[in-house]
Amino acid sequence: MGEVTFLEALRQGLSEEMERDDRVFMLGEDIGAYGGAFKVTDGFQQKFGAARVIDTPISEAAIVGAAAGAAHMGMRPVAEMQFIDFISCAYDMLTNYVATARYRAGLATPIVVRGPCGGYVRGGPFHSQNPEAAFFHTPGLKIVYPATARDAKGLIKASIRDEDPVIYLEHKWLYRRIKETLPEGEEILTPLGQARLAREGKDLSVITYGATVWKALEAADQVEKEDGLAIEVLDLRTLLPLDDAAIMASVKKTNKALIVHEDTRTGGLAGEITARINEQAFEWLDAPIMRVTAHDVPLPYAPTLEDFVLPQTEDIVKAARWLAEY
Amino acid sequence: MARVDVLMPQMGESIAEGTLSKWLKKLGDDVKRDEPLFEISTDKVDAEIPAPSAGTLVEIKVQEGQTVPVQTLVAVLETEQGAAASPPPPAAGPPAPKAEPAPAAKPPTAAPVRAAAATALLPRPSSPVPPKGDGAETAEERLRRRSTPLVRKIASEHQLDISQISGTGFAGRVTKQDILGFIEQAPAAAPAATGPRAPLPGGGAVVHPAADPWPGDRVEPWSKIRRITADHMILSRRVSAHVASFFEIDYSRVALLRARFKAGYAERGVNLTYLAFIVKACAANMRKHPIVNAAVSGESTIHRRDVNIGIAVALDWGLIVPVVKHADELSLLGIARAINDLGERARTKKLSPDDIQRGTFTITNPGGFGPYAGIPIINQPQVAILGVGTIEKRPKVVTQDGTDAIAIRTMGMLTMSYDHRVVDGADADKFLADVKATLQDFPEQEM
Amino acid sequence: MPPHSVPDTRADSSAIPAELERPQLLEMYRYLRVTRVLEERLVALYRQSKVIGGLFRSLGQEGESVASAYALERGRHRDILSPLIRNLGSMLVMGARPIEILRQYMAKAESPTGGRELNVHFNDLEKGYLGQISHLGDMVPVMAGITLTFKLRGEARVGLVYVGDGATSTGAFHEGLNFAAVQRCPLVVIGEYNHWAYTTPPEKQYAVKDLADKAKGYGIHAVTVDGNDVLAVYTATRYAVERARRGKGVHFIEVKTYRRKGHAEHDDQSYQPKDEIERWAAENDPVDRYVKQLVANGWAEESELAEIDRAAKEEIDQATDACVNEPLPQPETALPGVYAHPPAAERLWYRGL
Repeated sequence: MGEVTFLEALRQGLSEEMERDDRVFMLGEDIGAYGGAFKVTDGFQQKFGAARVIDTPISEAAIVGAAAGAAHMGMRPVAEMQFIDFISCAYDMLTNYVATARYRAGLATPIVVRGPCGGYVRGGPFHSQNPEAAFFHTPGLKIVYPATARDAKGLIKASIRDEDPVIYLEHKWLYRRIKETLPEGEEILTPLGQARLAREGKDLSVITYGATVWKALEAADQVEKEDGLAIEVLDLRTLLPLDDAAIMASVKKTNKALIVHEDTRTGGLAGEITARINEQAFEWLDAPIMRVTAHDVPLPYAPTLEDFVLPQTEDIVKAARWLAEY
Repeated sequence: MARVDVLMPQMGESIAEGTLSKWLKKLGDDVKRDEPLFEISTDKVDAEIPAPSAGTLVEIKVQEGQTVPVQTLVAVLETEQGAAASPPPPAAGPPAPKAEPAPAAKPPTAAPVRAAAATALLPRPSSPVPPKGDGAETAEERLRRRSTPLVRKIASEHQLDISQISGTGFAGRVTKQDILGFIEQAPAAAPAATGPRAPLPGGGAVVHPAADPWPGDRVEPWSKIRRITADHMILSRRVSAHVASFFEIDYSRVALLRARFKAGYAERGVNLTYLAFIVKACAANMRKHPIVNAAVSGESTIHRRDVNIGIAVALDWGLIVPVVKHADELSLLGIARAINDLGERARTKKLSPDDIQRGTFTITNPGGFGPYAGIPIINQPQVAILGVGTIEKRPKVVTQDGTDAIAIRTMGMLTMSYDHRVVDGADADKFLADVKATLQDFPEQEM
Repeated sequence: MPPHSVPDTRADSSAIPAELERPQLLEMYRYLRVTRVLEERLVALYRQSKVIGGLFRSLGQEGESVASAYALERGRHRDILSPLIRNLGSMLVMGARPIEILRQYMAKAESPTGGRELNVHFNDLEKGYLGQISHLGDMVPVMAGITLTFKLRGEARVGLVYVGDGATSTGAFHEGLNFAAVQRCPLVVIGEYNHWAYTTPPEKQYAVKDLADKAKGYGIHAVTVDGNDVLAVYTATRYAVERARRGKGVHFIEVKTYRRKGHAEHDDQSYQPKDEIERWAAENDPVDRYVKQLVANGWAEESELAEIDRAAKEEIDQATDACVNEPLPQPETALPGVYAHPPAAERLWYRGL
């Protein structure tokens, strides 16, 4: 297989699941004949047929609702939101219908809703969002957010096989920017609910996900070289449910925590993670738990504005140094 | 109407008890919120405790002079407001035993061993009453005393007093590295706290024999500070081989400089005293004679890195020795200012634990009404203490052009008591000779 | 630049339809030409990496954009329209200036949104245009609200909103149109049947043949017109606008047209049959047809049109030169304006280190 990009790995995962299981089918805008706005499903309609790769109208609520119905009937639908920003149009279906279906009605709803998220691409407010916080507090949903090519593949496969509805967030900035050589001859599955140690260290735990995993790794390299600090980077991979054990193990080891995410500060996941560390590892803290996030503004389009609003490597470096000196 | 409990506060992580030294209000008095209600004294500092809310003092549970565990119910206020947040009196803590001499091998804690064990590893809500009398503790001060959960946990596991450990973190707090480093380095012998506090080896507990009062006599039980001082004096004389050297100093030049520069210093808010010159002279010569700046620990001599000169201050309620830290790095102005400040804060009970710790040498100066010369008792575990005799004009023989004459000079005695276990006579005398020389030829550029 | 004012010297010219006068015909031509020239300039700038983000052309749809807007009462506090990506022409008609559009596309600090929003997503409610957000269909309920207010206040003002064929599939379109219809808002909806919603053809988008068929389901008046016939679009819109102004409620005008470029400039259009694109370009370009009509009917001289072309190019050149080297916004300008109070969002703690 050689070296693949994040997007190619995602495509492989989808393709493998489509091949493996007839019940898997896909629906979304421009995914069939065109192969998707980002070409994730390039060639899929030719390979799997138009009945399994459906070009839909511009109707996110209908896409998600229809996926739910199909899932009740034993299918394994993968619904695409052309840009995850448009998942807001399906908010009602996802939170009121899909999330509650098993709990109130015993109805299994194993759908995957996936779409490109994230900024750093000058996409402006409606093509750059990170919507995880909007769904995070909804019991019944799962949320995954891979940062590596391997996990892009492993998590889409695991999400499709999961018995519960999963929102799969794929960062568009990572699509073509990161490459990895995936091992051959083994099935790549990333379990949900399990974080990954991206880098080991002893001085500080940086807890993060998505594109900021890479920024954290850059920052870690820099402070190792310049300050001799050994930073540990924990890639959450699954946001809901959170891997408390991995978070606490890391914090108990380093005694200092910095949570980094691209989402806004207020109401972002860092608040929840901070509360959990406070509850489960308070005695191990040698500094307050801090966070690096986006500013609390709608994401602006101009490069200078976007760069200011979003968290950058330099911000992580500064925050890490501040914590190291605390 | 609501009842608000007033508790004995915890004045520091390792403190387990406090003595109610004085009631500032009587039963039936109305108090305003934050108005000082009573005074306490602990091993570290004395403090005024403010009322947690406005109300009337309706019950007094602890009398003056009584020592009780922290969080004990001391009094009850009755307030107009609805039930204020008053925590229920906690389960009685272990009774605080008298300070026992710790075996040499263990780092001492100010609190007895049993009370330290009561400090649980699980987080405990902090006291509802602010630890400092004026309730104006800053976050930095709190951090300095309490550091972080992790450090408190480690301190508790090793029965350490955080404020004993020097901190390199933010606001001078003790970091994980600091406390772990401290534990690694702390040898069998402990860096005992200075000041009349730590129980000492060398003879078991101090027992003060009883005497009979006669009719008409007034029996006054010792305050905590008085008892600590009394114990320390006995122990010090038991432990050190006290020897004294007397040197006569001609302060005429100092008097001259003082007269000339006093006004200028006053403009800068500093009262320039003879004591400042003496401290400066001692500090300046300490590095040449490091043995008088040392401490004894078991069968070792600890050569101190820093020169921290304690100045004994006699207060109405007892003796206290605040410390001028790094006196060798201060100018005369800096020393004079430090002495002014420490004295003022001692008198107004605003010293912090840090102010009275880590002295390496002590100077006691009775001032204008003092003796010609005295023989002070060494402040353990230091090895020398300097007493300053009265400074006044006296006749002195001076030689000019080979002719002897009597002149009127400003003179005073300096007496240094030192521990002959480690300080030999020659060491002591050489040090004092240099101090004398410095004072008598005090360099103007030091002004 | 003021519209051309050309004296009518040809006494035997054919009657101009829809009560238009010659200067107005020329004015419409000018808007068409400026739209096209401006977009061509934007393509050049895009290829020079001066335009940031995507570029969305309205090639082939300039006719319906300009003609429909031209039928509104323009000026301050008059009619209001809400354009989509491919209705640049309509915004120019309502008074947006080329330099504003250039600045928007280049994310300049001086752009109408201060660099915060991209391409034509900006507004001037006084001049009468309200730029969209990317979520299609959302502008329909908003325009329903705006026109509802006209009605409540007894103002003789009309609203006009564009929807693409894809947008008619959204829930927001349905709810907005239904609400406007039942409230009898003075709203004209231009449904642009341009054959391609990104890569999705109409037969994948809905089960009706014409968009106008859909609109009838809302109980409103609907027509279908040749979207590339400038005067036909103008006439139909004028009629609908006047009826709406008289209180006859919502009107739907389907304009049949064709999207000659991809969804955006970065789209290679591989899914659009090449001969289809070529055919529309050769046989059914709205600007070419209009020119032919003007000249054939004697309503304009070729030399007049050439002069308008030249002036348009000059206008775009000047606008480009004026702003191409302007700076991007200062970073901290990202913080104000989230709320009325407080005036700005907080700067995060580590930015001060």
